[in-house]
Amino acid sequence: MASIHPISSLIREANQIFLQMGFTFAEGPLLEDEWHNFDALNVPKDHPVRDMQDTFYIKDEPGHVLRTHTSNVQIRYMEEQIKKGIQPPYRAVSMGKVFRNESTDMGHEAEFSQIEALVVGTDITLANLKGTLGLLFEKIFQGSVEIRFRPSFFAFTEPSVEMDMRLSGDHVPEKLRDKWMEMGGAGMVHPNVLKNSGVDPKKYQGFAFGFGLDRLAMLKWSIDDIRLMHSADLRFTNQF
Amino acid sequence: MKISRDWLQTFFDTPLPPAQKLKEQLESHVFEVESIEKVGGDEVLDVKVTPNRGHDALSHRGIAKELSAILELPLSNDPFVVRPLLAPVTTEVSIKLDSNLCKRYIAGYIKGVTVGPSPAWLKTRLEAVGQRSINNVVDATNFVMFNMGQPLHAFDAGKLEIQDSRFKIQVRNAREGETMVALDKKEYKLTSSMLIITAGDAPVGIAGVKGGMPAAIDETTKGIVIESANFDGVSVRKTAQALKLRTDASARFEQVLSPELAAHGMQAVAALIIELAGGELAGFVDVYPEPQKPMFANVTVEKVNAVLGTALTGADIADAFTRLGFAYKEEASVFEVQAPFERLDIALPEDLAEEVARVVGYDKIPSTPLPKFDKQPEINKNFAAAEKAREELVAKGYSEVYTSVFADKGERMVLNKVDSVRPYLRESLLPGLQEALKKNIPNKDLLGLKEVKLFEVGTVWKGGKELVTLGMIGEKEKASEKILEPMDADAYEILPLSTATRFEQFSKYPYIVRDIAIWVPNGTEPVEVLKTIKQEAGELAHKITLFDRFEKEGKTSLAYRIIFQSFDRTLTEVEVNESMAKIGRILVDKGFVIR
Repeated sequence: MASIHPISSLIREANQIFLQMGFTFAEGPLLEDEWHNFDALNVPKDHPVRDMQDTFYIKDEPGHVLRTHTSNVQIRYMEEQIKKGIQPPYRAVSMGKVFRNESTDMGHEAEFSQIEALVVGTDITLANLKGTLGLLFEKIFQGSVEIRFRPSFFAFTEPSVEMDMRLSGDHVPEKLRDKWMEMGGAGMVHPNVLKNSGVDPKKYQGFAFGFGLDRLAMLKWSIDDIRLMHSADLRFTNQF
Repeated sequence: MKISRDWLQTFFDTPLPPAQKLKEQLESHVFEVESIEKVGGDEVLDVKVTPNRGHDALSHRGIAKELSAILELPLSNDPFVVRPLLAPVTTEVSIKLDSNLCKRYIAGYIKGVTVGPSPAWLKTRLEAVGQRSINNVVDATNFVMFNMGQPLHAFDAGKLEIQDSRFKIQVRNAREGETMVALDKKEYKLTSSMLIITAGDAPVGIAGVKGGMPAAIDETTKGIVIESANFDGVSVRKTAQALKLRTDASARFEQVLSPELAAHGMQAVAALIIELAGGELAGFVDVYPEPQKPMFANVTVEKVNAVLGTALTGADIADAFTRLGFAYKEEASVFEVQAPFERLDIALPEDLAEEVARVVGYDKIPSTPLPKFDKQPEINKNFAAAEKAREELVAKGYSEVYTSVFADKGERMVLNKVDSVRPYLRESLLPGLQEALKKNIPNKDLLGLKEVKLFEVGTVWKGGKELVTLGMIGEKEKASEKILEPMDADAYEILPLSTATRFEQFSKYPYIVRDIAIWVPNGTEPVEVLKTIKQEAGELAHKITLFDRFEKEGKTSLAYRIIFQSFDRTLTEVEVNESMAKIGRILVDKGFVIR
């Protein structure tokens, strides 16, 4: 049967879930300037932090990259709000393609999709991050969810954490049940990121998280090869 | 970095838990551990030190310090506790810093060493972390680096030029085209942006990267000049990148080290060399124009809880700082913290909140729903338009595909693409869709489609702009593409989600289609016939469908389509024909007539 792509279905579902919590679906360009992809996110030039991601640079366009994450949208969204004179609270979610210059295999693709969420206010905490993630995964996997944080580092969050999820319940596929699974990175928005976007870090704080939608789809539907996502093969797409 | 458990143990009187337990504790509180490897009786952990902790944690002492905080075990042997004393001062070495990219340079001069093999304990330590033993002097410098994080280098004093009866060491930018043969015996062509160490103007080392052959230590070495210095992270990184010479030293300097560390490194290495290679300490020279200032950061109990969403008390926070070895004053719920000199990452209240969180444990963070939110979310007009297009097209039998943004041609090109194929950014969705169409047509029967119809909502780069377009293609229509115009909407339509529960693996092997039509008595259940066919065809029959049925002259005609396909091989016509013959026989046996 003709159908939409599974990632499109996940984006649709996530948007419905986030909309109920007041999140705006925000966007940013895929071909991004280094300010929005790196500098504003507190990733300094000529520092090993920039090596954390393998970046596609554009020929004859110095200072431009294919975005390595959807985090550029954090900056763009806040900049836009400030320009319109709208102060926090903010709730934004962004979903779309990102790029890493790496060789591909069953688990890696040079282009894949990410989801990113940003919440800024006077009273937003790391505990709210845990709560929000729990709610999101509970809805997507129809089971009960535990969220675990592990310490990590991202230039744009402080504290930074890795988020793991453990599902339980009858609706959860057996392969996933009662196992910790790494989902992605998160943390409290670094004060420099707020400042770089024009938001006063003395007044406001917030959280952000991001993870791969391809991985989420792979978990949800037991897909074993990420390359199927861009295969344009209807033996794949039409199953969804 | 590789961390030996036995080596870590030298920092503690209390026996450490097994490596597996160390891994779990490190992962819950600070760093991931990629692997544990047995080396002799030792266990070696590969610890992934994050870039914010490259200042202090790329050493056994750094990891020991973390474990001390996590396991609440005191460090019984912390080299940073005692203030280093670089005495006596020697006048036989002079140092000139010609660049502010060197924040500190300490030289130590030892006369009369005997270069020889290292003792077994030292070889064991270095080999555990994957290093080759070279000789006692070089091994001592490496040991101290892996022990406390300060890169060190020893020059053969006998090979350094003497002017005015002293060694004149200078840190300066290389001259354009200047060359030096490094310890790897390769000649490096230097540029004016690179910092080098010279003795009497001759290059003897690339600052923070690698020492030079001109002053290499060998068995004949009698006097040595040891370098313990601090070089600028960005400069070292650029030099190492340009020369394609990344070393254990450059990997540490590029993370930015505290210049205070240099004195500890010098003191430790001088003592160790004298212990291993004998000799007599002539003295030290320390040039340190701007000593590092004490680093203070403040945080309130309220702020920690506001960031973490916890209800920690002042006592909880004080305990975390004590375990980390942070000096603090607490007054009216305000903590004024002085971070240890090596912790260059501590500056903001949020940094302190993170320290508290990871020591206390992230499992202590509660899970709290978001507060009430009064603003109305905005409707994304582009997404609304894309969703509308998806819905309309799926209803018309089109399937959505994602194809790659990388293409054979386009206005823009990416650099250094790892797989080097299709380096351009597409200017149209159509080539990708055409390729996809071609790929899917042979699978039409398998897919049960009369016609393959595809669409994509995707980004293209055309006319100097990034655009989102909608592309459509079908076997019986001309491919078309148009810009996806934003759609005004007050709300999103609630559209259906995928109902799939799991993805079914499909065979990568070709399939073969056969049809069979039979006359059956009226009232025969088509499902029963299908079961019979299925049973006879076995697992090679991937899919069987009834595609035609009509009644004529008191009989019913049933037509089935059988798709043969294997998961592990390409089927032959012969075996499919055999299978069809078997199916035919069983149907005849049942009294049906094959048309």
